[in-house]
Amino acid sequence: MSFLFLLTVLIYLAASIFQALFLATGARSGASTLRPKIASIALWSTIAGFALLTFFIGVWVLQHGHFPMTYRTHSIAFFAWAITLIYLIIVRLTDLRALGSFVVPVAFIAILISYNFVTDVAALPEPLQNYWLLAHTTLIFLAYAAFIAAFGFGLMYLIAERKIRQKTDTLFDNLLPSLGISDELGYRCTILGVILLTMGVIVGSLWTQYIRDVPWRWIDAKVISTLVTWFIYVVQIGFRQFWGWHGHRAAYAAILGFAAVLCTYVGVDLFLDSMHTYR
Amino acid sequence: MNQLVSVGTSHHVAPIEFREKLAFSEEQLIESLQRLRESDQVQEAVILSTCNRVELYAVAHSVRNADAAAKMLLEFLAQYHQMSVESLKKWCYLHHNLETIQHLFRVTASLDSMVVGESQILGQVKASYNRSRETGAVGTVLNRLFTKAFSVGKRVRSETTITAGAVSISYAAVELAKKIFNTLEGKTVAILGAGEMSELTAKHLVANGVSKVVVANRTYARAVKVAEKFNGTPLAYDSNLDFLMAADIVISSTDAPHYLINRQPLADIMRRRRHRYMFLIDIAVPRDIDPDVSKVDHAFLYNIDDLEAVVASNLQDRQQEAVQAERIVAEEAKRFYNQLQVFQVNPTIKAIHQQFQQVADTELQACFYKAALSHQQEAAVTSMTQAIVKKLLHHPMQNLRCAVNDGDADHAQYVQALQELFELDVNDDNSEL
Repeated sequence: MSFLFLLTVLIYLAASIFQALFLATGARSGASTLRPKIASIALWSTIAGFALLTFFIGVWVLQHGHFPMTYRTHSIAFFAWAITLIYLIIVRLTDLRALGSFVVPVAFIAILISYNFVTDVAALPEPLQNYWLLAHTTLIFLAYAAFIAAFGFGLMYLIAERKIRQKTDTLFDNLLPSLGISDELGYRCTILGVILLTMGVIVGSLWTQYIRDVPWRWIDAKVISTLVTWFIYVVQIGFRQFWGWHGHRAAYAAILGFAAVLCTYVGVDLFLDSMHTYR
Repeated sequence: MNQLVSVGTSHHVAPIEFREKLAFSEEQLIESLQRLRESDQVQEAVILSTCNRVELYAVAHSVRNADAAAKMLLEFLAQYHQMSVESLKKWCYLHHNLETIQHLFRVTASLDSMVVGESQILGQVKASYNRSRETGAVGTVLNRLFTKAFSVGKRVRSETTITAGAVSISYAAVELAKKIFNTLEGKTVAILGAGEMSELTAKHLVANGVSKVVVANRTYARAVKVAEKFNGTPLAYDSNLDFLMAADIVISSTDAPHYLINRQPLADIMRRRRHRYMFLIDIAVPRDIDPDVSKVDHAFLYNIDDLEAVVASNLQDRQQEAVQAERIVAEEAKRFYNQLQVFQVNPTIKAIHQQFQQVADTELQACFYKAALSHQQEAAVTSMTQAIVKKLLHHPMQNLRCAVNDGDADHAQYVQALQELFELDVNDDNSEL
């Protein structure tokens, strides 16, 4: 098992390196003939890493009879899985490879952090072993992944806009999507993220309220922080709809939202007390 | 032994005054190819005539004929266009064999073009080649040469980026617009003022999908005239910028002495159009658009110098890529030349083998007739003569092949000598090619 996980980590490392190389080959002169090869290695190593990770989690579930969500390492590995899934779906739909250069390294760092996955074996507490937890966490992690994709599009938008304004026609700007595309896809990812997050929160609250009969705690740090994150994205969508806040404003909002996601996911978990804290 | 010869001129070596005299119209081309074919020196011919070059490619029958063929091509050109051979010699280049191959490959790879990486030349060469072939002037050697030249042209284009990046102002504008909007479909372009450059740019934008054109001019009649060309909407411009509300791309080229579009009014318009992107192209000198406009959110301003800088940087990139392309061309030319030589030597080798074998067979028959030999003895004598033929020819033929493979220039003379000394009847249609 641990060998399998090590292999997954290494493939993610290779994928990140090739995704980064892909952008580096965007500079016109020189390596241009290598670019298609690098692009396909980057994509296929990402797919291989994703397949291995899926397989690994599947085998783990079969062995232990429940979903891996006890430890922080488990959740982060799952986070990496969700990021890769959303990225692959976007590539399938749009063929925009450049996004991977911003998103796959995030997945790699996540899976690297989760390296103790294999040795963390304590069982999930009995009341948590059900499909409610699976639905709740899956929805929320997919929401996070969509927000990270939006963040990637935001970064690409800002870089491309800067290039156009500076009137310099160099480096990887010819690999970046046009402003219109980055803006539109970033927006769609944001909407997708908000929908998934809303559903995840609803599932979570229904589950605690009606199934487990735990009194609702508004002052749970994770709950508050999630609401703040949700609010940032909803306000952003509203501004765009009513006042035409798109382009670099939307890009900055996506970056702000990403920071909020990090605070909610990592910050609260490490520094504050919550019933959502992992072992 | 066939020799490749080419005579030609291009924008690199000759002025337009000379090139236009040398150009062939379509009928002239067919007629002159027929006349060339009737001559003794030339086996095959292709004439390439574009606005930047006139070139004759020919195959001469032998080494000795090569110079004669070159001279004959020059004389033919001089006679056909009623010019002196001296003036032709001054403005024309003359290539033989490897040089010819390399030159043609450079042409189809667009390395010899005015703008490196331009896309038209490949099609032009193809058209000329097809026309020459229709007249029956193309044989196996030129067929092979041109087919290879087209594939080298494609290889260079796919393996290098010499075709990347706009190299004209109007295309640079189209490319930039695509970087902003992604697709130009359904977009609106507004032309303020009128001029050749703005019309050309608008034309390229429309060809790339822009669906609506608005033409604003102080003189309404002028606006109508320009708008007609694009099926657009004419507008009398009276310092009211409201027509920019619907515009995604603005091309300005009036002769107004001051700025027509200033920062604050444009910022207001942008707010009213909910900050949809606007790409402003200012090709007027003096400028029509305040440079401060580029500070307005979602408005992107390029003036004529900016566009020229983009073009210059793209040209520089192409020049860099051309180095790589030249390498490919040199490599392919060398390889093709060697292949051609090997294939051309083969018929001679085959003929000499046949001749020796024939002599041996005749002598064997005579011998069998005179001396009554047993079957065993007959077999022994037959295999002996065959071994002698083989061994006698082994070294000369191997050395000939080596000379060809090493690219040794002497081999053509060897082949020539062999053919003449042994009175070989080499089948010249090169059916093995």
